[in-house]
Amino acid sequence: MSAGSSLPYRLRPNKAVDRELFLSLLMRLAPRLTLEKYHYIGLGGPFLEDFRMIHGRIGIAKMTCIETEEQVHKRQIFNRPIASIECVHKSLEDYLDETDFDSPTIIWFDYTEPKGITTQIERFARTIGTVQIGSILRITLNANPESLGKPDPKDISVEAEGDVSEDRAQKPTTQEWRLARFKERLGSLFPSGLTADGMTHKNYGRSLLRALKLAVDKEALSFRDRRIVWALATHYADGQAMVTAALVVCQNDDQAIEELVKGWEFNSTTDAPHRVALPALSTLERLTMESHADARTKMGFDLPKSDMGENPFEVFKKFYRIYPHFSRVEL
Amino acid sequence: MTKTSTDTAQASPTKRFFVSMLTRDIHLADAILDLLDNCLDGAMRLAGGKEVDYALHFVKIKIAGDHFSIADNCGGIPREVAKNYAFKMGREPDDDRDSDAETIGMYGVGMKRAIFKMGRNALVRTRYGDDTFEVPITSAWLAAKNWDPLPINEPTEASEQLDEPGTTIYVNDLYEGVARHFANASFENEVRTAIAEHFTMFLQWGLKVELNGTPVEPVRVEVLVSTDENRPAPYIYRKTIDDVIVSITVGLNTGKSLGDDEDDDAGFERDRSSATAGWTVLCNDRAVIVGDKGRLTGWGDGIPLYHPQFAIITGIIEFRSKHADKLPVTTTKRALDTSSNVWLESLVKMKEGMRIWISYTNQWKNHPRSDQSSHWEDARPMALSMAIETVASRRFTKKTNDFIEFNPQKAKVLPEPEDKKPSSRKVMFSRPAEEVHLVSKMLFDNPDEKPGIVGDKCFEMQLTKAKRQGG
Repeated sequence: MSAGSSLPYRLRPNKAVDRELFLSLLMRLAPRLTLEKYHYIGLGGPFLEDFRMIHGRIGIAKMTCIETEEQVHKRQIFNRPIASIECVHKSLEDYLDETDFDSPTIIWFDYTEPKGITTQIERFARTIGTVQIGSILRITLNANPESLGKPDPKDISVEAEGDVSEDRAQKPTTQEWRLARFKERLGSLFPSGLTADGMTHKNYGRSLLRALKLAVDKEALSFRDRRIVWALATHYADGQAMVTAALVVCQNDDQAIEELVKGWEFNSTTDAPHRVALPALSTLERLTMESHADARTKMGFDLPKSDMGENPFEVFKKFYRIYPHFSRVEL
Repeated sequence: MTKTSTDTAQASPTKRFFVSMLTRDIHLADAILDLLDNCLDGAMRLAGGKEVDYALHFVKIKIAGDHFSIADNCGGIPREVAKNYAFKMGREPDDDRDSDAETIGMYGVGMKRAIFKMGRNALVRTRYGDDTFEVPITSAWLAAKNWDPLPINEPTEASEQLDEPGTTIYVNDLYEGVARHFANASFENEVRTAIAEHFTMFLQWGLKVELNGTPVEPVRVEVLVSTDENRPAPYIYRKTIDDVIVSITVGLNTGKSLGDDEDDDAGFERDRSSATAGWTVLCNDRAVIVGDKGRLTGWGDGIPLYHPQFAIITGIIEFRSKHADKLPVTTTKRALDTSSNVWLESLVKMKEGMRIWISYTNQWKNHPRSDQSSHWEDARPMALSMAIETVASRRFTKKTNDFIEFNPQKAKVLPEPEDKKPSSRKVMFSRPAEEVHLVSKMLFDNPDEKPGIVGDKCFEMQLTKAKRQGG
């Protein structure tokens, strides 16, 4: 079970938007790739919400839900919203190793564990060569830089806007310390020239995506029949910061899919992920912001900036179409 | 007894054979590094025996799907050299350039090999003093059977001039595989890392290298040295062997300390450590090998095979000589001539240094890193020459005119764990994550304590019980 999944989607608006972005990508590609004939593989969590939505929007029937924890696996079988979902009690890696796919696949590597990031990235990269052409792969990675470990405060110096602590020359800053750990973890996947600035909360997600891109590019060098089209990259946080990236494995000489993806309003690549940091809003605020071009003037007050430093009005404008509206229903 | 006839048998190499042989044994990334080597040799010639100010020089490299280019301001090629030597396949014995400089080029194949490796069409434009000219190497010349000399063309337009003395090489009509690599971000990353590692000394001295518009930052290979006489220092060794000055240091790198192997990222045993672990070999300031962890540098040869436990050990060896042919490097300059005497003699000392630190890591195995780090508090990371300089002044350092050696084990400056028990045994087992969470919750009111700590506490509880019953 993923570490964050005990929290339902309705309490995680940014994750909900991130998922909607992915669904929106699939819907754009569906007619061209006949996605309904694809095989969807994911880690559904106890409620299999993404399965229900993917089935509902795209009409995919062949779906496999992978789970390592036995109790959650049983719960999934109980909760299974669509009879055609196959629930498998295994690790995603083992399942992929043991399965030959006879159709293109959509695989969502929904990793939430911060440990094992290198293995996760390598596994994702390796899969681009083993799936059928036309497949769509998506990965979620934990983007909290604190997952690199916490240095002992007495081993650390500080520096801010030119001011430094006395021990600056002898000791690394927290970011420098993290950079060293990041380098150790990634080994040869480490993006050359990455600096300590890439280890802040704000930038760590993008540094991870850089490493991901390099790993995939490296793998792609070995395959001449296919090439990679990056379609969607996001960086969001509902508590835990996460990054995601999705790609399409295209025929080597394909142009049509790339054009379709490039023309999509939410197209984003690993070097410039969408920062999904939506403000929490009252219903009245939301309706006002949707129906007014200059909502800020109309409302007469500022909304707090998000943790990622984004302007809430701009973020809202970008995503309001797919911003879910949750309300309470008593059963 | 035979007599000479008027017939002769052709014995010259065909161009095709020559080009395909020449390019086969070099990696694409190494070919680029070879060109960079040439730039540096140029800078050294320009200085004419004086110390080179690398901060004055730049090298700009561009790799793309349709072309390659490298441009420098390192002095350019004199016309006489271009006419007689620079474009020849191999070095002539009468080419006596560099007889007294610490350059690394010696076979005279680097530039040609790099060009032939990449594509079918190239242009070398150079300015030496105020004399600018260019030499095209075309696909027609490559396809021709004869070895006609290459034309030397004079510039007729301003755009064909160079702003300052230097050389620009432009290659297009790239081979298919080369074009795919040059357009690939991970290959660019590989080249950037290789430059950062192999040319680290020059970059640290201020040389500006740009790859696709972004400057390359040096990767520092350093060992921890304490300036305090009684605190830990690396093994050091320096001696002149066959006109080559050999300098060695083996110590701990700035990487993570011992006992911090709770990282579940390991999954299975494999090396994730940074490049600076293992052996780095420098020849006249070029890093020939970086972070080697194999048999080449002695691992598994009378010493244990490399293992992640040793990821904190860094060894640096430097060979320095004015006679490039005495250095233990091969033609690709990125590999070692392991049969040379100077290498074999050095390897003995390298292993001696390694043994010290291997036994050190064994001693500290299974000890929390905090116990160890207090001993290293005032130690600072230093590059080879600085480490030798610092350690050389210690009382326990053996010194003669052309010889320095310091063994930290013999000098008794290496810390030992206080509760060191020779009878310690490792207990290892694995359980499903949910069970570990459950026990962790019971013991620590936190389901996410590290599995190692949960297991250790469980053992301690049983030990207390066992002592009560049996003791």
